[in-house]
Parts: sequence; C-alpha cells; structure tokens
Amino acid sequence: MILVSMAAGFLLILMGLYGALTNRNILRMIVAFTIASTGVNLVLVSVGYLAGRTAPILDAAVPVADAAERIIDPVPQALVLTAIVIGLGITALMLAYAFKLYETKRTLDISKFTELKG
Amino acid sequence: MSPILIIAIGLGTAFLLAFLDNRLRATAYAITLVALAVMSWIAADWLFALSSGSTGPVEIFTAGTKPPFAINLRMGLAEAALTLLITVTGLLAAVFLKEPMMRLGRRSMAVLLIATMSFAGIVLTRDVFNLFVFFELAVISTGGLVLLSDDARALSAGFKYLIVSQVISILLLIGIIFLYHAGGSLNIDDLAAASAAGNSTVLLKSGALAFFLLFIALVAELKPFPANGWALDIYESAHPAFSAIFSAAAGAASLYAVDKALLIGGPAWLPVATAIGLSTFVAANVLALSQTSDRRLLGYSSVAQIGLVFAVIGQKDLLGDQYLFIAGGILLAHAVAKAGLYWLSGTLPERALTSWAELKHHPVLLFAFASFVAMLVGLPPFPGFYAKWQLAHALAADGRYLVLGLILLGALIEAGYLFRWFGYALKREAPAQQVDLSLHKIGVVLIAVAAGWGLGYLWGDLSGLGNVLTALPLLFALSFLALDWLPAKVKNAIAIAGLVAWFLVSYPGYDPLRLIFGVIILIGGAVILLASFETHGRRIGFYPSAMLMYAGLAMLIVAEDSFGFFAAWEILTLGSYFLILRGKKSEPHALSYIVFSLGGAFAILAGFAVAAQGTQPFALQGLADVSATFAPYVFILLAAGFMTKTAAIGLHIWLPGAHAEAETDVSPMVSGILLKAGLYGFFILLMTMGKTQFYGVELTYVLLWIGALSALLGNLMAIFQEDAKRLLAYSSIGQMGYALFGLALMNHLGWLMALMFVINHYVYKSMLFLSVGGIAKRTGTKLMYRMGGLITLMPLSFIAVLVGIIAMSGVPPLSGFGGRWIFYNAIMSSDARLPMVIIFLSGPIAFLYLFRLIHTIFLGQLKDEHRRLKEAPFWIVLPQMLFVAFLIGFAIFPGLALRRVDAYLGSFFPSHGLAWEGLTITSEYGYWSPVSIMIVVAVIFVVLLAWLVFLNHRAQKVKQFNIVFAAERPYRPETTHFAWNFFAPYRKALGFLTEPLVTRFWGGITGTLHGTADLTRRFYTGDGQVYAFHFVGFVVIVYLLSMGVRP
Amino acid sequence: MTFEWMKIPFALLTLFIVVNYGLLLTALMQKIAARVGGRYGIPIYQNYIDLLKNYALRSAITHGFMFYLGPVFRLTGGVGLLLFVPTIYGSAMFSNMSFAGDLILALYFIFFGSLGMALGAGESGHPYSAIGVSRGLSQVTMAELPLALAVFAIAVQYQTLSITEIVAAQQGGFLHWTLFTNPLAVIAAMLSFLGSMMRPPFDVVLAPQEIPIGPPTEYHSAYLALMQTNRVIFPIAKIVIFMNLFFGGASNWPVFFVKVFAIYMVSVLVGVVFPRFRVEQSIRWFMVWAVPIGIAAILIV
Repeated sequence: MILVSMAAGFLLILMGLYGALTNRNILRMIVAFTIASTGVNLVLVSVGYLAGRTAPILDAAVPVADAAERIIDPVPQALVLTAIVIGLGITALMLAYAFKLYETKRTLDISKFTELKG
Repeated sequence: MSPILIIAIGLGTAFLLAFLDNRLRATAYAITLVALAVMSWIAADWLFALSSGSTGPVEIFTAGTKPPFAINLRMGLAEAALTLLITVTGLLAAVFLKEPMMRLGRRSMAVLLIATMSFAGIVLTRDVFNLFVFFELAVISTGGLVLLSDDARALSAGFKYLIVSQVISILLLIGIIFLYHAGGSLNIDDLAAASAAGNSTVLLKSGALAFFLLFIALVAELKPFPANGWALDIYESAHPAFSAIFSAAAGAASLYAVDKALLIGGPAWLPVATAIGLSTFVAANVLALSQTSDRRLLGYSSVAQIGLVFAVIGQKDLLGDQYLFIAGGILLAHAVAKAGLYWLSGTLPERALTSWAELKHHPVLLFAFASFVAMLVGLPPFPGFYAKWQLAHALAADGRYLVLGLILLGALIEAGYLFRWFGYALKREAPAQQVDLSLHKIGVVLIAVAAGWGLGYLWGDLSGLGNVLTALPLLFALSFLALDWLPAKVKNAIAIAGLVAWFLVSYPGYDPLRLIFGVIILIGGAVILLASFETHGRRIGFYPSAMLMYAGLAMLIVAEDSFGFFAAWEILTLGSYFLILRGKKSEPHALSYIVFSLGGAFAILAGFAVAAQGTQPFALQGLADVSATFAPYVFILLAAGFMTKTAAIGLHIWLPGAHAEAETDVSPMVSGILLKAGLYGFFILLMTMGKTQFYGVELTYVLLWIGALSALLGNLMAIFQEDAKRLLAYSSIGQMGYALFGLALMNHLGWLMALMFVINHYVYKSMLFLSVGGIAKRTGTKLMYRMGGLITLMPLSFIAVLVGIIAMSGVPPLSGFGGRWIFYNAIMSSDARLPMVIIFLSGPIAFLYLFRLIHTIFLGQLKDEHRRLKEAPFWIVLPQMLFVAFLIGFAIFPGLALRRVDAYLGSFFPSHGLAWEGLTITSEYGYWSPVSIMIVVAVIFVVLLAWLVFLNHRAQKVKQFNIVFAAERPYRPETTHFAWNFFAPYRKALGFLTEPLVTRFWGGITGTLHGTADLTRRFYTGDGQVYAFHFVGFVVIVYLLSMGVRP
Repeated sequence: MTFEWMKIPFALLTLFIVVNYGLLLTALMQKIAARVGGRYGIPIYQNYIDLLKNYALRSAITHGFMFYLGPVFRLTGGVGLLLFVPTIYGSAMFSNMSFAGDLILALYFIFFGSLGMALGAGESGHPYSAIGVSRGLSQVTMAELPLALAVFAIAVQYQTLSITEIVAAQQGGFLHWTLFTNPLAVIAAMLSFLGSMMRPPFDVVLAPQEIPIGPPTEYHSAYLALMQTNRVIFPIAKIVIFMNLFFGGASNWPVFFVKVFAIYMVSVLVGVVFPRFRVEQSIRWFMVWAVPIGIAAILIV
C-alpha cells in the first residue's frame, strides 16, 4: 500500500515535470506543476505512514502513554499541510502572472517571452 | 530582544498593513520603515552583544518544546551579521523604493517586509522544513517585488523565476522528507550529528540521494552556472533596489542555507561545493565580459561573487577559525558593493555601460563607484582584500593550487570588466541624461559607501595583520578626498610638504638601499609635483590618486612583512591607475595597465602565499628560508609580478600607451617613479632568495635574458615611434630591461649598476617627459614630425633634452657613462655571455631614438604655425633645470649617492666592490675618474670654442631657408624637415623584430575570452522553459559527477 | 693624486705629431685609392692647403647655436679620444690623459663628437644632413656590435679594462699580440673597423654622389676646417685603440707610424675593391658575417 502510493506520487511528479517542460502554454505548465506538487504531497504522506497504526490525535482512544507505539508519525502530515498551503500560494501567483503576461502580448506561449537573454 | 522578533515584526507588520486604509500611504510607508529599522536594530544589537562577547550564541525554541518536536532558531555571530546585512539592505531598499511604493501602496510594502523577514528566517532557522517554508515565502515575495520595476520585461523574468522555483521546491520537499525518513529529525543539528556519528542511515543509500536533492535545491538558489538564466533576467529587469536585495540579502541567505545543509552532508560534499562555486565564478565572470547592460553585468558579477563564496565554503575544512573571516569578508564586500552599484544604477535613466559617463560630473558619486569597484575586486582597504589574502594563504599552505589559480583568474577577469566600466564612466561622452539626485537615493548609496569603508576598517582590525586604514601615508592620501574643494595650487603645496615631511620622518629608518628609493619616491616625487603648480582650477581627483600612489610607494619600501608589501603594492597600483586614467585618451591604456598590474599583483599574492606555507605574518626576510620544493615557484611568481611593473618584454604592452597618454606631470611620475616599484621588488626578491634553480634552469639566468630582450626590443620599438612621449615610454621598457639585467647578474657591480639606473632613469626620464610634455603643451601635438626648429624658441627645454639624451646614451662626461662603466665591470665577472650580445646591440640603438628626439623637435625646420611659440611654462621648466643641475653634479660626484650603497651591497656580495680613492673610482678591472674626464673635456672644448670664436666671431644667424639645396631654394618647412619615418632603412633591416607579436598574443587571449563569452551567452535563450531544462540538466550532471567524490 | 703639469706639453706634442701624420696619411691613402682607380690623385701636401685655406676663410654665416658648436663638439671628440688613450706604450708622458678612464671611456667617448656634430648638422635644417645622420646612426649600431663583442672578449681574456695593461700583456714578441692569441676577436673587430672608417662599402653616410657630403653639407670655412682637422685626428685616434688592443701597441713613434699605416690600409684595401652598400645591406652584412664571429669570440674565451 505504501509502495503503491509512493510510486503513484513519483509518477505524478514525473508526469508533472514532463508536462511542465514540454508544454509551451503557460496555463498547461501551471497545471503540470500542480500535478507535480500533488505527487510530492503524496510521497510526503506515504513516507510518514506506518501500517496498522492510527491517526496521531491524542484523545481517549489513544492515551498519551502508549501514543508512540500506536500512532503514525505526525510530522509528515504537518509538512504536507504546510506544503499544500504554500503550493496554493505559488500557484495563485503564477496564475496572476499568466494573466498579466497574456495582457501584455495576447499570447500564452512561453517561448514568446524572451526579450531578456544572453 | 529575542531574535524571533525579527521574524515576528516582519510578519506582523505586513499583516497589519493589510488592514490599513489604502489611502494612508505615507503612514504605511512610515510603518514599514520603522518596522525594518526595528528589525535592523535587533540584529545590530545582537551582533554587538555577540561580537563583544557579552553573550554567547543562543537557541530560540518555539512552541515550548525542544527539537525535533518543534522548530528552533539560532542566533550566533554569523547569523547576527547576516541578519543585520539582510535587514539593513531591506531598510535601505525601502528608502530607495519610496516612489514606486507610494504609488503601489501598502501591499508592495507588505511584500517587501515579507521578503526581508523570510531571508532573515532562512538565516536563523535550524529546521530543514522551516527552511523550505522561508524559501517559498521568499519566492512568493520575490515574485511580487519583481513587479515593482518600471521595466515591462520584469514580468516575464518573474515568471521564469517561478517556473524554476517550482522545480526547486519539488526537489527540496522530496529531499526533506526522505532525509527525515532516514535521520528521524528535521533539525539540522540532529541530522548533522547523526550523519557525523556515521551509525545512522542518513548518508547511506536513499539518505544520500535525499541529501543530494536538498543540497542541489539549495545550491540552485545560489544561481550556479549554467542553471541561472532566470536569475540574470531578474537582475536585469527588476527594480535596482530589489536587485540589490536579490543580490545582497537573498544571496547571503542562500549561501548560509547551503552552509547549514553542508553540516549534514559533511566534508565529503565540500569538493562538490568547490567545483560548482569555482566554475560559476569563472564562467560568470567570462560571460560578464560581453555584457552591455549595467544591471545584467552586475547580475553576472553577483552570480560570480556568490559562486566565489560558495567555493570558499568548499574550503571550510581547511580554513578553520578563519572561515567566517574569509567567507564573511568576501560576502560582505560583495553585498555592500553590489547593493551600492545597483542603487547607483537606480539613479541613472539609461542602461548602457557607457551611459555611466554621466557620473563624471558628480565626483562624490564617482568616488562611490570607484569604492564599489575596488571592493568587488578585493583591493585594499576593503574586506575582500584581507579575505583574499588569508584565503590564498590557506589554499597555498594546503597545496590547493588549482583552486587558488582559478580564483585569481576569475578575479582578474572580473577586475577587467569592472575597471573597463569605470573607464567608461570617466572617459566616455556623457549622454544627455540627468542623474536622479534625490536625497534619499543618493543617501542610500552613500550609506553603502560608508559601510564599505567601515567594514574595511573592521576587517583590517580583525585581520591581525595590520590595518591598512591606520597607515599614516594612506590616511594622508585619503585626506585629499576631503580637501578636494581647495584650489589645486594649495593642494599641491600640501602634497609637496607631505612628501618631504614623510621623508624627513622616515629618514632615520632607511638603510642605504631604501634611502635611494626613498629619495626618489618622496623627494623626487616632490620635485615632479613642482610641475603641477602649472595647473589651474581645482583639478578634482588628481591629488587623491597621486597621493595614493605615493602612499603605496612610501609604504612599500618600509614594508617588513609580505602583507605590508602586498598591501602597499595594491595601493600604489590603484593610485597609479586612477592617475593614468586621467589622460585624455588613456582609457584603453589605463585598462590594460590595471589588468596587467592586478595580474602581477595576484602572482605576487600567490607567490607570498606559497612561500609562507601558512605562517603569518611572514617577514620578507623569510623568503630566504623558503624550502627548496617551493622556492622556484615562489621565485617565478614573484618575479612575474614584479615584471608586470617594470614592463619586461612580453608584459610590456600596457606601458607605452599608459605613459604616453598620461597628463604632462603624470608621465614623469608613472615613468620616473612608479616603475621603480618593480625594481625594488626585484631587489627584495634577489636579496632574499638569490639564485634559484627550476628543473636545473637557473632562474636568474632567465631573468638575464628577459632583461636583455627587454632592453633590445624596447629600444628598437622606441626608434620607430612618431609620438615623442611614446618614444620615451618605449625607451623606459629598454631602460628597465637594463636594470633588470644588472640585477640578474647577481654580482656586486650588477646591482650597483641597477641602482645607478634607478637614479639615472628617474632623473632623465622625468626630465624628458616634462620637456616633451611642455613642448606638447605649446605646440598642441606630440608628433615629432609636426615640430622642428624649436631650439631658439624653447632653449631651456632644449638644454634639458640635450643633457637628458647625453646622460641617457652614456656618452661621457655625464652620469649615464658611469652606469655604462659599472655595467662593463659587472659583466666581466659574470659567466652569462650570450645575453650580453643583445645588451651590446641595444646600447647603440638608444642613440638612434635619442637623436631623433632632439633632432626632429628642436633642430631642422621650424614650422610656420610655431613661429610665435613661447618657452614652456615656468613650473614645467623649473624641475627640468633642477634635474639638469643634478645630472651634472651627479656626473662629477657619483660617490655622493653610490659610495654608501656600494658599501651596503658589500654585505651581500663581498667581492668585486669598488674602491673610492680620491677622485678615481677603481674596480677590479678598470678605473674611472669622473672629475678628470669632466675637466679634460671641458678644457679641450673651451679652447676649441675660443679658437672658433676667434676665427668666426662675425657669424650671424641666417634665415631658415638659406641652405644649399640642389639649385633650388626650399620654402616649405613641412617638406624640408626630414623627420617622419626617420630611420626608414633601419626598419627595412630590423623592422621584423618589432612585429607586435606580444600585442597579438594578449589580444588573442582577450579575444578568445570575449569569443567564449559571446558563444556561451547564446545558451541563455531567454525561454523560461529552457531555463528549467538547464536546471534539470544541471542537477543530473552534478549528481553524476558527485557520485565520484562521495563516500 | 697630483696632476703632472708636464703632461700638457706632451699632450700638445702628441696632438701635433698626430695631426701632421694624419694630414699626410689621409692624403697618401687618397692617392693610393686614386691610383687603384687609374687616376693620378692629389699631391701629398693637398690636405695642408685645404686646411689652411679653410682656416683662412671668413664667414658671416651660422645657422644657430648648435650649428656653431657642432664642429667644436666634433673636434673635442677627436682630440679627447686621442688623449684618453695611451699613445706610446711605456711612456708615462705619452700616456696623456689616460688616467681619467679606461677602455670603456674610450669606447663611449667615440660617440661624443658624432653626437655633437649630428646636432650641429641638424640645426642647419638641411635635409641631406639629417638623412646622413640617420644613415650613419643606423649603420653604426650594427657596426659597433662586433667591436663591442671583441673588446669584451679580450677584456675577459686579459682580465682587465685598462688599455695600458692590455698592451703590457701583449709584449714580448708579436706572437703575444691579440691578433694571434685571440684571432676571432680581432677579425670581428677589424670587420667592425671597416664599418667605422667611412670608406666603401660602408660610406653611404657621406655618400658623395647622393646627398652631397651628408651631415656636414652646410659647413664651410672655419667650421669645416675644424672638422677637417678632426677628420685627420679621429681615424688615427681610433686606430690607436685598435693598435693597443689587438696589435701589441707601439713602444715608440716609428712603430706607431708603421702600425697605424698598416691598420689604416686594411680599410683602404677593402674600400677600393667593393662598391657601396645601402644601410640595410650593411646592417645585414654585419649581422651575417661579423656578429657571429664576435659571438664566437666571447663564447670561447
């Protein structure tokens, strides 16, 4: 199960990267990056998952005393949450950029924005 | 106050600004400034506390738990310094960004606060994931701040940046999670401890790959070559105030992040850092060569400098407790200078490098520019200078010569384009544009200047080698910066008084050798400065430059250890560069001067570093004890360095232009005095190291050849010059060749001859340059064939030249003969025969150019446009007459100067000295009685003259064209004056020796560098997607290559 | 050191002898050259007539200060050179002013007169003068080189720069002459000698048919007379150096006369056989033939 999700995660990352590096359309690139970050998040979660354990919430079901044996590692999950938030921020910023870029040249082709070079 | 407040204030204020009414922009701006000021103040407070030792490094725990369960921050000395750098850069940028921020409102201010905060966070945090978070915040805020620019292209630059950042963050996150998986913690110190202990899986198998991903992602933030196209676009198009942050603050933060990551990776990864850093440093500098936009050039330079610091990080294992001093010195010098230059560029509306010419109307800004350039190049008294010195020593002591060589090579290229740019600023036509002189912008620039000088003082203090900024001669020179508003004549008087006073103060400390150099530099310098009374107005910039050179020279001859020597060497190089650059057409020549000189200086640095093998301070006397393994290399490096100054053949191409195009009173300074620095260096080198073998080749023998060839080719090229000052300049190459030859003979009289040349060359070259300069001032040309017949109009100049050429050609009875006499006696006791053939040949050749000089200027046909010329100005003639008097006096009584030196040299070479009995000087082989010669010649001359006067006393001067000329009467001076291409037959016979092979060689090298740059820059297509490809490719290549070096 | 004032009359005597001998010798050489060319030639006393005539001529012309001084420089160079070199070996009095300096002084003092003369000629403003000077200087740079090499070779050979000591070392039979102890150096020096005697093939400096008479073109009357005086002293002064360095010197006046004549004849013999070289040709000639011999000379001592 862990392996499957991890493999899926890496697959998504590779797909995303491939998409981002081959599509010239800016919007497609942004979508590709979203796919890749989803993959990353999947990998993050699967690294932290331990088979047969419960969620890391200390309540009546999981007493503090034996928490260490019974819960899965909470850190990757916290990381994932943060990463998602940040990913959202960056995606928003990229979309805003895409909008502005489209306004200036009426195109979304990344290879048209090469005034700066050398 | 807790360091966490830096982050809290930044974040909180940004958050607060969101609630503020958008119309209250001034308020929002004030709040922003206050917040940044408070952040800076906290950092400063910590820096002060930590550096004064009143507190130690502290850990700050968040969320009430210790790591690994919560994030912790650390505030140590490095963190405090970097945080201060980041926050102050943010604050100054905010001040600079006043207009765009007021226009765009509170959101832009909030973004700036976030950016500053996140860079500070990157420095402070000890948690890898937190690092990721701050990085992402930095990315987002960078994405926002890029848009502050007026440049529409910034939009695409920002997007390219975001694309690459996405890839980076993917790698970073995967790296972090697997590192966590392998090491069980996100805390850097825990991970480092685990990997150091070696008992965990942190750096094995998947852990190693995980670390690689983390490492490479962080490295990507350093904009390594070639995965840095996106960064350059940002540098070029963003608002300069933000580029300053991007270069100074973001660069510093990223470097520190990598440094922290390397704690986990351990020493095995240091070679990778070295390789990436060095290749970036060299490649970016090469690429910068062909840039024409100021901001893009600065971008390349930033990339290069950060690469350099990264390479220094790669040397962490051997730098020990010097690490912070060195890395910090280079980093801070870079940060301050680069931020300052970006801000300076923000005051100029146009982007071409040449448009900086506008600055020449603003001496203060020009001074700022010069300071920044010197800071970047690592010249004294700035921190980079000390850092480079220590770095070179550490590298050489450990045998990392390749690293040292590449660093110096890159630095030389960087110096090349920076000084070329500075030359544009001073010499090019200023475009019709206005410098934006708003107080807040200029103020920010000046704060950067002050910070640079302050850091220079601090680093000097910390270096433990002696603070250059406390040297009295240097302070005297710098004080002219403050006095520059005074009239030139007043400053001139002060300068002369200063030189003489310093001589009187230092006099007791000189031994006879240093005394001779001291007299030439200080008293001789004062005599030449008499000619400067001729100038009017304020002559802005002349005195600081000239006195800087004199200060360097004065410090050079009293330097006891290698550091003092090198510092003085760089100071005099810098001063003379500014001095040479003042000439009307000297821009390219000054550039080649500084490039050759710095190349030489770097060779000297490397030489000293290899010699010292880590010992500091290293007394110059210690050169005598360098072990046989290193001695030849030290000898070669130092000799090469000194030869750039004496313009030995092969390294001479800077000299003719530099000396010929300099101002009238500057030419004698840089020729008569400055060249002696190289000879002094040779004296020191040969006194201490003496004969040295290199694979069986005697190096002093090689020097003999170089000296002889310089003498021949210098003289030969001199005879074909049409420009009088160029002729004199080439002749200096020849003269220095003679002196070098004398030194390399390695015997008593050889050295005495070299000293004689030191004195004589100063006198007659100064005198001739002044005469020719005075004539050029009157005639308006330096081309000799345009002159002619000036003898009656400028009799005093004529007498000076006449005496000068008699002295120089070595014809008795003047002092040049003494030099020749000693020379013949010196070669008698030498075994090197072949180089002498060349010296014998070059002697008579000197006659050719000397005769040409006096003939085509003073004799022959007077030109119509010169008929009403007057004698050269009084102040230019006065020193010449002093020189004439001296030359005659020295010819009669050479013992005055030479006797003590002769005795002093006896302590090095006991045999073959001279005997000074009565009026006759006797050597082992021959004798010479200057007074008798003078009397005999004078008596014969006077008797014959009296006889001729008796016979021909009625002679009157006839008109110009009253000559017998094939039955015609010539009437045009231009066609009758035989002057142009005076030695045409000689060119036919030996002209092939003057083919400019050396010029072509060096031209080929610079051409190749530029060609490489032009070719490589095509690699940066401008397409964001391609840049992402570059990055991915870079990751793969580094991974494959680093497989080889990892455990 | 006290100066012996008796040296002055002896110096004047030397000068007197050399001037008269020179006047006759140069005329004789001209006559020999003329006879080789199938002409009758000048009478042997012709030089006296020319000289007296020129001294007697009065001129009101000068082209300026240096022009006026030029001949003075020139003759000072000739007289000085003669007096700085010991004329008769073993005679304290005929060693003249050689206490002032050694061989190096003599070698460098050769240029004194040429320089002054060139300056004077330059001020006349005549292009032929300048052309002549340009040619002369060009040629002399290369012609001097074999001599310098030879001199260095024998200085090393005898381990001294003192002319008197060099002559002393050659005493005791002609096989002790440098000519036999160091033939390479002597050959190099004699080739150089050809170049400095203003005779074909190295006379392009004065080049009578081309640039009337080169540097002295504008000189006349007493100016020219001074130069003519020099023209008889200077070659002999130079030959004295050669004689002392390579041919054992002269211990009395008759030997002096014979040796000077013989050495002078070398240049005349060559001169009547060969046509004139252009400057670049003579430079190449010296480089190819004379300089290598000189180099060999310094390498094998």
